[in-house]
This record gives sequence, structure tokens and C-alpha cells, in this order.
Amino acid sequence: MRHRVFQRILQAGTVHRTFALTLALLAVTFAALAVAALLVGSAPLDVIRSLLEGALQGRFRMISTLIQTSAVVMTGLAVLLPYQVGFFNVGGQGQLEVGALAGVAITLAASGPALLVIPLSFTLAALAGVVAVAVPLLLRIKRSSSEVTTTIMMNAACIYLVLGIITGPLKDPAAFYGTTHPVPNAYQLPVVPGAVGLHIGVWLVLAITIGLHLVMTRTVFGVKLRAVGGNRPAAIAAGIPADRILAIAVITGGALAGLAGGMQALGVVHRVAEGWAKPWGFAGISAALLGGSPLGVVPVAFVFAILETGARHMQAMTGVPVAVVYLLQGLPVLTFLGLRATRYFTR
Amino acid sequence: MSIEEWIIAFLPGAMRAATPLIFAALGVLLAERSGVLMIGVEGAMLLGALFSIVVALLTGDAWLGFLFAGLVGAAAGLFLGGLTVRLPTDQVVVGIAFNLVVLGLTSFVFRLLGPVGVYRIAPPIPMLELSIMGAVFAAPPLTGMALSLTLITWVLLFRTGPGLKLRSMGERAHAAHAAGIDVVRSRIVVLVLAGVLCAFGGAALTVGWVRVFTENITLGRGFIALAAVYFGRWHPGWALAGCLLFGMGDALALRLQAAGGGGTPFYLMTIPYLLTLVVVGITGKAVGPQDAGKPYGRG
Repeated sequence: MRHRVFQRILQAGTVHRTFALTLALLAVTFAALAVAALLVGSAPLDVIRSLLEGALQGRFRMISTLIQTSAVVMTGLAVLLPYQVGFFNVGGQGQLEVGALAGVAITLAASGPALLVIPLSFTLAALAGVVAVAVPLLLRIKRSSSEVTTTIMMNAACIYLVLGIITGPLKDPAAFYGTTHPVPNAYQLPVVPGAVGLHIGVWLVLAITIGLHLVMTRTVFGVKLRAVGGNRPAAIAAGIPADRILAIAVITGGALAGLAGGMQALGVVHRVAEGWAKPWGFAGISAALLGGSPLGVVPVAFVFAILETGARHMQAMTGVPVAVVYLLQGLPVLTFLGLRATRYFTR
Repeated sequence: MSIEEWIIAFLPGAMRAATPLIFAALGVLLAERSGVLMIGVEGAMLLGALFSIVVALLTGDAWLGFLFAGLVGAAAGLFLGGLTVRLPTDQVVVGIAFNLVVLGLTSFVFRLLGPVGVYRIAPPIPMLELSIMGAVFAAPPLTGMALSLTLITWVLLFRTGPGLKLRSMGERAHAAHAAGIDVVRSRIVVLVLAGVLCAFGGAALTVGWVRVFTENITLGRGFIALAAVYFGRWHPGWALAGCLLFGMGDALALRLQAAGGGGTPFYLMTIPYLLTLVVVGITGKAVGPQDAGKPYGRG
């Protein structure tokens, strides 16, 4: 009986699949959380309730959960799009961090109207992400090097480079740890007037997600993308410039991850400091895999964001440590992969 | 620094920093030579780092802790093997998700065990007294073990029948199957071994070196081990050279930090990864195991 249900979940169409998967994901997550609660000696229902309260109760918490969602959606798209053409971008975290730094650096150096500086900052953040992904992309196209290896190496290199810069040339001398100066008030992302209090970045993410959905389902480029990812030799035989399609997808991915960093820095944290970045890049990999399409990434990212923002409240109320969140972000992925590989799933 | 200072302080420091990397790199190397990407190395190290210190503190015996880490590593290897080889599933995603799960799990278990006294400093592993040509040296046994294991791995891989079979699975899994090798079973065995080695790496970091555990104590060292293997083009000797090089960088960074002086060690820490990228760029493809990363399905 049980595997029948899973079979149905895994074979359903995209919309159904996304919805059913989110439910399955929630079930696994909360089951694991309940076990963790019992181990700590708290009542599982209290723990789950405090997590949800911490993430969803009240306007302020709801807003921070939605902002977290937008970050994971972006890093998820940064993985999803290149993945369609067979490029596994594991480097989202590094791209995000250099993007954030580039975005913040320009707001510290520039003066002028926010209407100019914020788009400039976003552009630079995206560009930094592109630079970070360009090395693995070039090595893949020119030298056939596995992008998994090279994006992992770039991840670490980027993270240490950012650490070096914020403890070195861009360090705020007044702070006793490595951090940049705060982003000037004028350049912090403004809230869209009359629209629930979400800063413009979140709306931009929404637009990007819908845009990508349309590009992938309704355009010739989307078809080419799937052709190259599905059967590269056949795509080349059909006259599709495979390397160019690959490059476009990967560069867009890097730009999205970089932009995600810029938005988090300008919209929420207002600086780049030691340990400021949550592992959004890695959560994005899970979200892309579980979501499977631009729209599918959104609900998964929302679940991850609930875990992220609710965790502090949960720890304060029940003593279940925040760190358990990482467990809850990884476990559904392993479960999903395991299920998908069993014979109940027809590929 | 003077020559004496170099020999007395810097080199042992570099060796100490390299030892965890060597264990983990050997694990990665074995797994990838057999055709399975070992992205989960970071998680396996973290498991070894935690459980070695827990057992060392509870029993008062550092060696027992070290050995127990191996047991946990074997279980981790079996788990990874079950998912990536037996089913099979995507090796990269499983590795990354495994690392996340272990980060959560170890931090959680560490908090749970806090009241039992796991926040203390673990007993040390005693130094070996070696006398070479009359002079007495104090040698850290784990470093000796790591170096011997490197030699053993090289002999195993390139001078024995099982080693040849292992490498053939990594290059052409289907050809290996046609030659009568049970690819699935052999790869799982290799992954169990790899898990043990990676966990030993984590244990060498905690009971063998810093003697405490903190959340996420490995801090990407698993990925440095991965870098060392790619840097060394999947050869034990060169991977060892990579580990020593990165160990020296680590020791140098620590010295810079201790010396103060305003310089930050972080730029230095990008070097292992950039070097690896350069090596990957120069040597290009076809040197690494051909079938590494591809799921192997029967039929």
C-alpha cells in the first residue's frame, strides 16, 4: 500500500508531483524533527508548533521567511538551469558570497541616486557570480574537466577570498571581527509601497522565477536547452550549438547566484561579515533537485525557509538545537533520491 | 625564519596539519579509483571527528576513540554505498545531502552529549619514541600510520590483482563486469574502506591534534582532501604531496595568525583550491578514472 502511494507521487504530472512531493517532504521533515524532539526530551508537537510559530506567526516573521524563501529560490534556479543542460553547478555558495561582496562594495564606493546605484549593485553582484562560474565553465568546455570538481574548488576559493577581503582591505576598522562597513541607508533595498512590506528583491525573484518558467516551457531556447541536456550528440546533429546553449545556461546560473547574494546583502544583512551567509547555496541544490522545475523550486524553498527562520524560536522554546535544521534539509533529499531509484519508479 | 626554527616548529606543524588530510585523501582516492565520487568525505570526517572524541572521553583511551571512529566511518561508507552503488542514485547529490545531514547530526549529538562531559579536552595519543642513529625523536604515531597507509594504498592499487580490479571498475565498469567482477559488491566494499579512512582523518583532527570537538570542526577539510586527490591526479604519492603542501599552507596560515602583524591568512587558504584548478586546467581530462561519477546499472 505504502509504495503504491509513493509510486503515484513519483509518477504524477509536474503540478501534482510538486504538490505531492512537498507534502512527502514535509512528512519526512516533521517525522525527523519529532524524533529529535523525543531525544531532547520535549514533546514533538510542541517542537513542531514552535518551529512553525517562529517562522509564520506575525508579520515580521512571515516577511523574513519569505525573504529566506527568495534566497533559496534564486540559488535553486542557479542549480536548476545549468542542470537542464547537464552542468552540475555545485558552486552556488561561492558565487553568492562574491556576488554579495561585489554588490556591497559598490554601495560603499558610489554616491548618487539609489535608482542608479541599486541596479548597478545588482549588476555587479550578478557579474561577480558569472566570473566565479566562468572558470569551471571554461575548464568544462575547453578541457572537459568535471564541473563538480571545479565548482567545489571555486566555492572554497571564493569563500576564503571574501574572508580575506572583509578582514583586510574592506574591513570596518571599528568592528573587532571581519566585516564591511554597513550599506548606506539610501542604498538598502526599499520596501515596495503598499505591498505587505517585502523589499523589491523578493518581487524581482518572483518575476525571475515566472520568467524562467516561461522561457523553459514556451520558447525555442527552452526546447534547445532540453535537447542539449537530454541528448547532446543528437542536439548537435540537429544543428543546435550545444556549447553556446551550455554557456548561456551556466552563465545565467552564476548570475542568479551572485544576484541572490547581492539581494541578501542589500536587503537583509546590510553588510558582508564573517559567517554572515547561511548555506543557501547548498540548500539551493536540494531545492533544485526536489523541485525539478522553476515553479517547483518555490514550495521546496518555502519549506527550507520555514526551517531556517523558525529554528531560533524552536531552540529558545524547546531546547531542540538550531543545528538540527541541516539534518532536516538533507534528509528529505536522501529519502527522495532513494525512493526515486527504487523499482517503483519508472524513469 | 631560521633553519632550526623551520625544522623544529614549522615542519612538525605542517605534518600535524597534513595528517588528517592524508587519511581522508586516501579514502577519496580509493573510492574514486573504483568509480564512485566521494563528495561525502566532509561528512565522514565530521562523524569520525565527533565519535572519536566521544569515545576517547568516555573511556579515557584516545586509541579506542580513534578505532571507534573507524567503525562509524565503515557504517557511513556502507550507507553511502547502499545509496550510490546499490540503488544507484546521483553520487554528487547524495554526497552533498549526506554532508548536510551529518553537519546537523553531529552538532545535535554533541549538544545531547554535552552534559555527559563531551565538552572537555580529550586525553592525548602518546608520541612514539624513535631512536635513529643515536638521536631520539618523538614521532606522532598517526602521522606514521598515514604515511604507511599511503605506501600500502600505492602497492595495493598498482602492484596487486585486487588493485587492478579496483582500477578497472573505475575506468570501465561494464568491461570489469564482463571480466567477472561483481562491480556493485566490490564498490560497496571499497566505499566501506573509504569511509573508515575518511573517519580516521576526522579522528586524526580531533583526538590526534586539537583534542576537542566543536560544531563543524572539519571546516571544509574534506574538500581540501578532495582537492589534494584531484591535484595529485588520483595517484597516492602525488595526493600525499598535495596534502603536505596544503598542510604547510595551513601551518603557515596559523603562524601568520599567531604572529599578528595585520596580514590575514585567508588569501593563503585560497591557494590549495586555485592550485588544484590550475592542475586540472593543465592536465585536462582523461587522467582521472573514466567511470567515476557514472551510476552503474546492471542489465
